[in-house]
Amino acid sequence: MAKLSYREAVAAAMAQEMRRDDRVIFLGEDVAKAGGVFKATVGLYDEFGPLRVRDTPISEQAILGAAMGAAMTGLRPIAEIMFSDFFAVCWDTVVNEIAKARYMTNGQVETPLVIRSGNGGGARFGAQHSQSIENWAMAVPGLKVVAPSNAADVKGLLAASIRDPDPVLFFEQKSMYGTKCEVPDGEYVIPLGVANVAVEGTDVTIVALAAMVPKAIKAAEILKAEHGLSCEVIDLRCLVPLDTQSIIKSVIKTGRLVTVEENPRLCGWGAEIASIAAEELFWNLDAPITRITTPHIPLASVDVLEDLMIPSVDRIVKTVSEMD
Amino acid sequence: MNILMPQLGETVNEGTIAVWHVKVGDTVEKDQPLLDVETDKAAVEITAQDAGVITQITVSEGDEVDVGTILAVLDVAGEEPSAAVTQEPSAVVTKEPSAGVTKEPSAAATKEPSAPTKQEQTNPETASAPEAKIDANLRLSPAVRRLVRQHDLNISSVQGTGKKGRITRQDVLAFIDSGAASQPALAATPAPITPNSSTPMPTPAMDSRSVIPFDKIRKLTADHMVMSKQTSPHVLQAIEVEYTAVDLVRKSVGPAWKAANGYSLTYLPFITRAIALAITEFPKMNASVEGDSLRVHSLINLGIAVDLNFEGLVVPVVKDCRSKKVSQIAQEIRALSIKARERKLSPDDFAGGTYTISNSGPFGTHITAPVINQPQVGIMSTDGIKKRPVVVESELGDTIAIRPVGILAQSFDHRAIDGAYSAAFLNCVRGILENHDWASEV
Repeated sequence: MAKLSYREAVAAAMAQEMRRDDRVIFLGEDVAKAGGVFKATVGLYDEFGPLRVRDTPISEQAILGAAMGAAMTGLRPIAEIMFSDFFAVCWDTVVNEIAKARYMTNGQVETPLVIRSGNGGGARFGAQHSQSIENWAMAVPGLKVVAPSNAADVKGLLAASIRDPDPVLFFEQKSMYGTKCEVPDGEYVIPLGVANVAVEGTDVTIVALAAMVPKAIKAAEILKAEHGLSCEVIDLRCLVPLDTQSIIKSVIKTGRLVTVEENPRLCGWGAEIASIAAEELFWNLDAPITRITTPHIPLASVDVLEDLMIPSVDRIVKTVSEMD
Repeated sequence: MNILMPQLGETVNEGTIAVWHVKVGDTVEKDQPLLDVETDKAAVEITAQDAGVITQITVSEGDEVDVGTILAVLDVAGEEPSAAVTQEPSAVVTKEPSAGVTKEPSAAATKEPSAPTKQEQTNPETASAPEAKIDANLRLSPAVRRLVRQHDLNISSVQGTGKKGRITRQDVLAFIDSGAASQPALAATPAPITPNSSTPMPTPAMDSRSVIPFDKIRKLTADHMVMSKQTSPHVLQAIEVEYTAVDLVRKSVGPAWKAANGYSLTYLPFITRAIALAITEFPKMNASVEGDSLRVHSLINLGIAVDLNFEGLVVPVVKDCRSKKVSQIAQEIRALSIKARERKLSPDDFAGGTYTISNSGPFGTHITAPVINQPQVGIMSTDGIKKRPVVVESELGDTIAIRPVGILAQSFDHRAIDGAYSAAFLNCVRGILENHDWASEV
């Protein structure tokens, strides 16, 4: 075990897979010699050279078009879209081409690629560089969607994403790049679609993702100490495939469900979880399902406003303690 | 044409089939009574909407049925006969599950298995019976409702520990664990509904003939009384009233009244009128508690508790007593009482009460502590009126006179008002009864 930062875990996972499989290549803006604007890919260029680690022009469409072509012709590309907000300019390639190639060719063409992207708020980057778009990705059939909450999961889940035969959108929460935790040494892979019960509890199930997970864990500690509430915190880790069994098992135990997400309220991923719970768990619910989200407005860059909009530990504590 | 269970009043969702007046094959006239249905609030006669022949009866006496359920099929003269035959059976089959017969061999032997049993077997998720144990006013989560249904619980005695006293899943689980759950459930299941000779009596030592199952009115009364006592801190206050002024008018008008109307002019309409007049000066008596506030009602609608020959209690309402004189109030009370005893009160007759009067006086009671009719905040008991020696003070010295005297006893909700307000109200009622110009009222 070594203590790694979230950003170091990104490079560690990629290096692990690039050593294992020489079909794995990496491309993006300023990712090679510069090591990425978030310094998440430092050292890869030095180890694997300019053929496998490539800088590209500033064109997201070009990056993803090249990645798709490489995947179709036998490579295992990892593409970086610096800010997930920029998926908006390459959505046609992602949604209409990458996600559908396997289906529309009856399996003759595969697109085994990973698109890594800095996602989410909390870094004062403003409305165009702070969005949490995992719910956009979740809405497209044919894509897998991963969003880790700590360095160990980054390493294990990114390795699994690279090995996956389908296109995976891998969302790195950019305010978490500096956070550290113990990360297993050596080859480490976490299967996609398995949620992590971060805290066990009996009274309320709190389902969270990415940067909301440490906040939910902190809130659970406060709720236990100050309100005597035993919260179970589930870190989804993946939205597609979604580990519904872990959610169902937990809510059958607790009778209460809260989702905490960075998505704007309308059609955030929490709405899908709530919908599943309403259908599958109606007779187990002892209180209305509660969603904690950012409001449905573009995210502010001003620190006080951004902090107000993104779910906070205080908001989670208040909401859960006031539940029916 | 299908005869459907009608919507009987805004809040009524189901009823019990009391009695069928017709059988399959009977020819019926338009408006002929077909059956009686008992709801939470009244017994209602359902009549034929058209003339025809009863071709099918799909529910049995004692069945609890939801609004909209098909009760019977009426073959209307002139209606395309083949249409009636081909259309109806499919609808009936879904409502009346014949599966119950095939699923349970013993039921087939009795030929007339009671419908609630069949419903529970075929569709436990939607069976209406368990809902009877769930008070419609309680906010219960799906998890709690499922536990109530699974364990056949009566949770009226469970104290909620959730927000605003809500009964949580944990509360019900604790209730089940405590063992208390099994007892009320037995009491709440009236034995006659599922007579089953093969099941041994749960308490063989006791004489089963002495066990009287609660009927619908008894159950509702029981639940309401417990709820009222749990909801309102009751305070009893009583005042002695001299009925000389009322008696003078009763004596002068009484014989003519009886000759004209066929019944006596009692004290009750006078007291009712006096309470209405006093409420205009003490409006907070005519109110209901809503959370942390008091809703004061503008109309004075006085409920009159009517005994159904010891078989229950109903409270029909005399509406807008502010604008009605004693004579009119007397006639309305009389009409409502007759309807009540014949079990013919309509849901509207019960609606909108703002204060209640309970009249034990005819039995000569001395004082009664009544239970508030929720969500009202006050209830008056009118007890026996009897001639008594009364000290009359005068300048020439005190003398003893013989006067009709009785007690008015009020229970009030101490959340809503305080003792001084209630006392002043009682004093006002007394003043009106003793001094009002009653001759102008009849």
